[in-house]
Amino acid sequence: MSQLLDRVPDYVRRFERYVPSRPDAVLMRQYGAPFLHRLNNNENALGPPQLAREAIAAFQPERAAVYPSGDAYDLRQALAARFGKSPDQFLVGNGSCEVIGSVIRAFCAAGEAIVTADKTFAVYEWVAGFSGVEARLVPLAGAALDPAAMLAAVTDKTKIVFVCNPNNPTGSWWNRATLEAFLTALNGRALVVLDEAYREYLDDPGFPDGLGVMDRHDNVLVFRTFSKMYGLAGFRVGYLCGSLEAVDIVRRTHIAYSVNSLGQFAATAALADDAGHIAATRAMVREAGEFLRGVFDKLGLEYVSGAGNFIMVRTPVSDTLLYRRLMQKGVMVRTMTGFRFPNWIRVSLVREPAMVAFADALKKVLDRS
Amino acid sequence: MADCLRVAMDIPPDSAFACPAAGLARTLAERSGFGQRESYRFQLTVEEFCLCLMELLPAGECLRLAMDAKPSRLRAAFSFKAANLSLAGLNLTAQAQACVEGEPGRDLGLLLAGKAADRFHLEQQGGEAFRLVAEVDRAYPELTPVAMPEEARPPYRLDRSADPARLCQAAALALGAYPARQCPGSFKRPEKFVALVAEGEMAGIVALDAAERTVGLLVWAPCSEQALYFSGPYVFAPQAERAAIARLLTDGFLAAVARDNHVIVLSFRATPDLPAGSFEPLGSLLAGREGDGRDEPVVFRHLREDTGAAVWCAPSLQAFLRQAYEELAMPRDILPVEAPAGRTRRESLLGASLDRHRDLAELRPFLDGQDLAANLTAHVAAIRDKGISRILYYMDLSRPWEAALADDLLRAGFVPRLVLPHGGQSDMVVWQHEPAA
Ligand SMILES: Cc1ncc(COP(=O)(O)O)c(C=O)c1O
Repeated sequence: MSQLLDRVPDYVRRFERYVPSRPDAVLMRQYGAPFLHRLNNNENALGPPQLAREAIAAFQPERAAVYPSGDAYDLRQALAARFGKSPDQFLVGNGSCEVIGSVIRAFCAAGEAIVTADKTFAVYEWVAGFSGVEARLVPLAGAALDPAAMLAAVTDKTKIVFVCNPNNPTGSWWNRATLEAFLTALNGRALVVLDEAYREYLDDPGFPDGLGVMDRHDNVLVFRTFSKMYGLAGFRVGYLCGSLEAVDIVRRTHIAYSVNSLGQFAATAALADDAGHIAATRAMVREAGEFLRGVFDKLGLEYVSGAGNFIMVRTPVSDTLLYRRLMQKGVMVRTMTGFRFPNWIRVSLVREPAMVAFADALKKVLDRS
Repeated sequence: MADCLRVAMDIPPDSAFACPAAGLARTLAERSGFGQRESYRFQLTVEEFCLCLMELLPAGECLRLAMDAKPSRLRAAFSFKAANLSLAGLNLTAQAQACVEGEPGRDLGLLLAGKAADRFHLEQQGGEAFRLVAEVDRAYPELTPVAMPEEARPPYRLDRSADPARLCQAAALALGAYPARQCPGSFKRPEKFVALVAEGEMAGIVALDAAERTVGLLVWAPCSEQALYFSGPYVFAPQAERAAIARLLTDGFLAAVARDNHVIVLSFRATPDLPAGSFEPLGSLLAGREGDGRDEPVVFRHLREDTGAAVWCAPSLQAFLRQAYEELAMPRDILPVEAPAGRTRRESLLGASLDRHRDLAELRPFLDGQDLAANLTAHVAAIRDKGISRILYYMDLSRPWEAALADDLLRAGFVPRLVLPHGGQSDMVVWQHEPAA
């Protein structure tokens, strides 16, 4: 085994594999929990929109034997119609995570660099890391991405700047003016990825619509996903949108046929019927946020709560201890040490029963310690 | 990373090859700039181990030797096969035995090899395969004390890649301000500490104040594939400033390791400056003669969620383990092992590392044997004779044969003190010898 490892590039040898959480049944047995509320992955507790449900139910098992559309043809048509773009400006992936990989492969050679924040979604940094691409990590300014510092981190080697807008896990976001000033100052020296995984949770007119921004700046690529608002995380469908030229480049390093048929059908249907679903989800998230902020205020806990279906709270004990104790009570949260926020947890904002279960468990656990 | 020279070869079981192998060891040492004394000790280690291990090889097998030199140390790794391996001559206590029983050459050779090296360890690689690794350290000068800065002025900042002079100074400051038992051994020889950092064996961050004075240090090193040991935070500043500097160092450390390949950080040497609430207690060790009489806390924290594990456990340790895991709220499948019945090997082998300066001896089992309990007792006596009062023993619960030795430890006066999650291949139980009151 050690000999095998000797033959592996250094940047792969150093890289730690990601260990996803175990299935519910395993976790419940391990922790002796009678039930499990997953508040760790920012999933939509309302599930997918009605038309998507119907599309899933109508899926004929025989179709499983047939390859899906290799480039998500119908879904790209639907996205194009919806956002007023050309279908060729979209590239659909097995979750937006796959698209992150395709973009880094397309634009970065080993030894080159990306720029992102130190406290943001980890996958940009990870994919860069195991591809031999340096990830230059820029500290947040408070809870927000720091545009000046990120600009300053861009060098000749920098190929892509990843801007998570709104940012996971802080929920902060750059408004139109900040983003515009950033792009103007960058002046096309690097590609900019706007990861808008949580954009549908915002209805603030000050929030910049990446799909509009890229009409003015052809170095902008926008990532979106059906995993969050659209409740289709289990099917793994995400996409990017950019200039025809940029998307044509990324397509070269992107595996065709990576998105399954059922996911493509469900996502296409979800797009056709999202207004009511988005409104209901936003209402649920708003209520859950108000409820939890009240709980945290009462407990005297500091929290960070911005856009998105999650809230971060600072814990008086180690976040990983809190995780284990909450697991024993059937509540799974995300520890934030890995996001470089030691002693913080992130909690998804979902429906009342789970929020109440979390609040009760938190109180009990903190009472104990 | 510092340059590293390597030499590797397969050696047939013919004693005529031992001398040339030692010659290569000398060349490696000289080419890497080691002094004569270290070079000689390394040659002796290589030659004697070659001779001894050759004798043990089954017919048709070779001895594989891989040597490498880093600025701070020379290393020889021997991979070999042996049926019913016995290396009792390597025990710390072997000298007396070899003389008393007048054992023939092999034990004397092992004795020489074991003493010439600064440390060695033996890994069982399954079946009859073993790997023995011996190291000889470069000699570094001991430190000259450094005066602590009298003031510290905010704002403070971290330097993650401090230059060697700064690291030396920080190590010297730490040893001046904190008891030796709370510092890594290498602080006593700051140039060694710097070399270990350059080699990637250790890492550290330094805190600086507004006037670029060194006001803090925190260091870490891997203790297993999954865990890091950290030491500190060491703060060199007046009382009013200490908490802010300690917090900066601790957060900086966690940010530096948050996304690397370890799941947990542990410390036996957390200082009282460690911010409360950031770490979890694992238990404590009994203070040694140098301590202030209070038990010494051992702390840890995960870097990610614990995904559970299976551990082996002897019946006599079960109550202890169950309680430890319950307090930690850590999911573990506890698998039973029985005490070894009818051990085939007569003589056991223990790894021992002694540090008089820090009043610490650490024991690890390398080979089980019929004499294990007696061997433990003999080790304890020999260690206490050297004036060391803190004696620890590490049991890796991933190996059933190690877990099965609980009764021997209890018999020899050891008491399980705490569990280090992921401290070895799997969790590790730390035992401490408690002298009968
Ligand atoms: C900011 C951000 N981008 C991308 C993703 C990944 O989404 P997908 O499920 O589409 O791979 C997530 C999921 O947590 C996210 O938080």
